[in-house]
Amino acid sequence: MKRAELVFERPERVFAHEPPEVRGHARDDVRLLVTRPEGHHHARFGDLSRFLGEADLLVVNESAAIPASLPAEGRLGSILLNLCTRFRSDLWIAEPRWEAGKPGPLPIEPDEELRIGSATVRLLAPYPGIPRLWFALADRPFESMIAERGGPIHYGYTNAWPMDTYQTLFSRVPGSAEMPSAARPITPRIREQLERAGVLIAPVLLHTGVSSLEIDSETVEAQAMYPEPFSVSPETADAVNRAHANGGRVIAVGTTVVRALESAWTPEGLRARGGFTRLFVNPDRGIHAVDGLLTGFHDPVTSHLALLTAFLGIERVRDAYAEAIRAGYLWHEFGDSHLVLPQG
Amino acid sequence: MKSPGTPQKVALVTGASHGLGRVVAGFVAKQGYALITMARGEADLAAAARDFAAAGVPVISLPGDVSQARDRHRLLEAAKQSGRVDLLVNNASDLGDSPLPFLEKASRESFLKVFEVNTLAPLALVRDALPLLIRSQGLVVNITSDAAVGGYPGWGVYGASKAALDLVSKTLAAELRDRGVAVVSVDPGDMRTKMHQDAYPGQDISDRPLPDVTLPFWAWLLSQPPMKVSGMRYQAQAPVWEVPA
Repeated sequence: MKRAELVFERPERVFAHEPPEVRGHARDDVRLLVTRPEGHHHARFGDLSRFLGEADLLVVNESAAIPASLPAEGRLGSILLNLCTRFRSDLWIAEPRWEAGKPGPLPIEPDEELRIGSATVRLLAPYPGIPRLWFALADRPFESMIAERGGPIHYGYTNAWPMDTYQTLFSRVPGSAEMPSAARPITPRIREQLERAGVLIAPVLLHTGVSSLEIDSETVEAQAMYPEPFSVSPETADAVNRAHANGGRVIAVGTTVVRALESAWTPEGLRARGGFTRLFVNPDRGIHAVDGLLTGFHDPVTSHLALLTAFLGIERVRDAYAEAIRAGYLWHEFGDSHLVLPQG
Repeated sequence: MKSPGTPQKVALVTGASHGLGRVVAGFVAKQGYALITMARGEADLAAAARDFAAAGVPVISLPGDVSQARDRHRLLEAAKQSGRVDLLVNNASDLGDSPLPFLEKASRESFLKVFEVNTLAPLALVRDALPLLIRSQGLVVNITSDAAVGGYPGWGVYGASKAALDLVSKTLAAELRDRGVAVVSVDPGDMRTKMHQDAYPGQDISDRPLPDVTLPFWAWLLSQPPMKVSGMRYQAQAPVWEVPA
């Protein structure tokens, strides 16, 4: 697949600048675009359970967002160091940025040092194939910097909100650099509706890194990926295999869940698996473990959009996004939702 | 960068003068390990050692051939001086004849030499360093190859030596588990290195990534509790690095 195929235009008015609860609305008070083989259907998020049924399995991510954006000082002045992936307490992949709304890559030299409070962080080497990311080594655990100085990672179109804003009903294990946002509109009310409809819910864990990767390479599949820790438990692997055996659909809540489940897929079915994954789900690789996706609306030329294209094919993605833009759906982590059911 | 109050870790890396070994040794030095390295090319190794020392860690580099007992002895004497071996990377490898011969044409001498360097020398180093590895609860990394499982024409001698090394790794992992020493084998994948060029003399290999493509894997592996991964065989460029339950 060519990079140019993932380019599309959308007006700035489709950016969600704040969570609905800031305007006095409920979290689940967002719109839901449902894409099925017969076409697109406009709904509210509260209608979710109408599109799912008995034997269907919803898989959610239990990872909780942490305040991973650290103010740093160095040769380039005051910058931000956004943590991405934790290898161990003193070694992360991290993204130096000028500021929330102003990305890099910064003109960093290997072994350049930053100060974060009284801590020293050394940027050892750039991440191969993703020059905006660096291996960052600290003289003390990053956890102490996160606790004392961290704020939520955010970008130019929205403010930093209190950390609660970034947690979902299923957030249990802290570790994501950014919120796995697809489950954000699932309130206790929505969960009850789903349970009444006979929909089962099972968890996986994937600590997600900094925002969906922009694809640099001309051929989409050649894009370098950074690793993310994940784990699929024996219980969830069983639940997925049972759902498929019973004719149910496995619906991933978010792209993180797709990455975790596909990383645990084998031709004999899902198996319990944990570790780090850099699996790039794209049309070339295809989808094996999942039948549908509940997600947000994704930016042009990103790895998330390539993942969506693996479900729908580029023509139907373009068609869905044209419809979403026409109808005024909102993009990004506080925006509207998209339920993708490629087989209906 | 090392945390105050903790003893400096020591890494022993063979074949550290260029290619993958140089990248691994350099990255390990940047993470604060003292280095003890060996390679055959004296000038190349000295140049590499200057790079490693820029990380501000002690570096001992010894020109030598790991298939020679007296050279291994010098390596071990240096390790004994430092009192520990936290990481042993058996990276030095011999490709055999270039261009790579079909097995029907491969000489017995070449076969024996390749096995000496690729299979027996790593085992000998583990055996010699065992007291230090036990004391440090260290990790042994044996560098393998997809030729070990591939059956690729021409790669039979090298591949057989790496297949044997894989079994040595897995068996050692089981035998040393009770003593707290971990062993993994790592296939770094295709890379643009001198060894890869020697395997394909005269061919353009510029589409292969440079060996620093494996840095994320090393950052990950060296962050795992060694016993959690002991006995595993990893592909550094694969999409998933699994930790067994």
